[in-house]
Amino acid sequence: MVKKVSLFFAYFAFFLLALMYFTPKENLYYLLEKELRTYDLIISNEGVKDSGFTLNLENADLFIKSIKSANAKAVNVNFFALYNSVKISDITLSNVAASFIPLQIDELRFTYSIFNPLNINVYGIGEFGEAEAAFNVLERSLHIDVKPSDKMKKEYKNSMRQLQKSQEGGYSYDKTF
Amino acid sequence: MIKLSNSLLLGIFTKLLVLLVVAKGLSLAILAYLPSDGVEMAQIKNYQPQYKRVDFKVMIQNTQENSKTISPRTGSNSVSITNMILKGLYGKKNSGFVIVALKSSVKKTSIVAVGEVFSGFTLKSIDLTSAIFIKDSKEYVLELEKTKSTGSVTTIDEENSDEPKSVQKSDISFYEKNPKEIWKDISIQEIKNAQEIEGFKVTRIAQKSKMAGLGLKKGDMIIKANNIELKSYKDVMDIYSKINTLDTIQIVVVRNNQEKELIYEIHE
Repeated sequence: MVKKVSLFFAYFAFFLLALMYFTPKENLYYLLEKELRTYDLIISNEGVKDSGFTLNLENADLFIKSIKSANAKAVNVNFFALYNSVKISDITLSNVAASFIPLQIDELRFTYSIFNPLNINVYGIGEFGEAEAAFNVLERSLHIDVKPSDKMKKEYKNSMRQLQKSQEGGYSYDKTF
Repeated sequence: MIKLSNSLLLGIFTKLLVLLVVAKGLSLAILAYLPSDGVEMAQIKNYQPQYKRVDFKVMIQNTQENSKTISPRTGSNSVSITNMILKGLYGKKNSGFVIVALKSSVKKTSIVAVGEVFSGFTLKSIDLTSAIFIKDSKEYVLELEKTKSTGSVTTIDEENSDEPKSVQKSDISFYEKNPKEIWKDISIQEIKNAQEIEGFKVTRIAQKSKMAGLGLKKGDMIIKANNIELKSYKDVMDIYSKINTLDTIQIVVVRNNQEKELIYEIHE
């Protein structure tokens, strides 16, 4: 009996992996783009490559309300059903944001795991410093812990005022949508 | 001889193969419902001519004063092209006219049509940002004057005056460096007709603020800036990103169901 159940799960896992491999990820990405357009978000000029289990984008421009807001040199999307992640590397923000935040972000990583289904976790590192964020899907609340860089502390005092200083010496930001 | 059909490996292999085929079939079925292309940002690269406020009264007077020097195929040869300033142009290629002045007397502008002569130079044709003159069979390109802000913006207190208002460049720099200060003084909301943005409505303006001094009023709907219709946030940001290079800003607002033009001259 145990052997049969184990065999069933092994076949099921194989089927899932095969399905993930064959899923038209490029077209799924196009569907996502069309959904994002309804929120005035457009990802443009990017090269899209389906690499089997992952989807890779190169040189993507992000337009928010038709304004070019950022460029990302590489985006790596992993759909593994149980664990999904989006890693965005080498991001340059538009000059529009220059008065709020340093424009270079080295890496931004979004992760969503079925084992922590209520939270989308984000990690970012760049000229601004380092940040970890969690977005609670149910409560629609965002909590960000920031370790600002010296540049951020010195040159972006207005933005720093938006953050709350924690007792441990770090900074945090909370918002509910 | 062992029958192949009895082989355990063959059984497993067959099952895996079936699973692969089912997975592939399912992915093809999904593909049928997915879009075949994505969304791209259409970049419409329109030429936007530099906004120039032209006082036609002065121009006509100057034209009359200078009429002797702008006679076709005549004029003195004593002026070099480098002493000339192209202050404005209208038309393209072989039709239209340009507004020129000499550096020695910048305020004395002259209108020169294609084919006419100014200070010995014949206007041959007009490009987007330059005019081509001919002298002694040689072509000279005169680029449109790059305006530098000199001085301060003039504020006019009369509410209904159509005269340009004066704005200090330092004020613009202040708001540029502290964008949050803008929203302390003014609130603006997009006005949509169905899906299209019609303009941006001023919903609040702080009394005695610098913004209030610009002549904007609560309820004004800003529909144009420097002759560009504000139909998207991009249109607004295009103007905003160039604000440091502008010496004149013209905005058109709808106030009491009437369009009103507000003009600001930016000075140091």
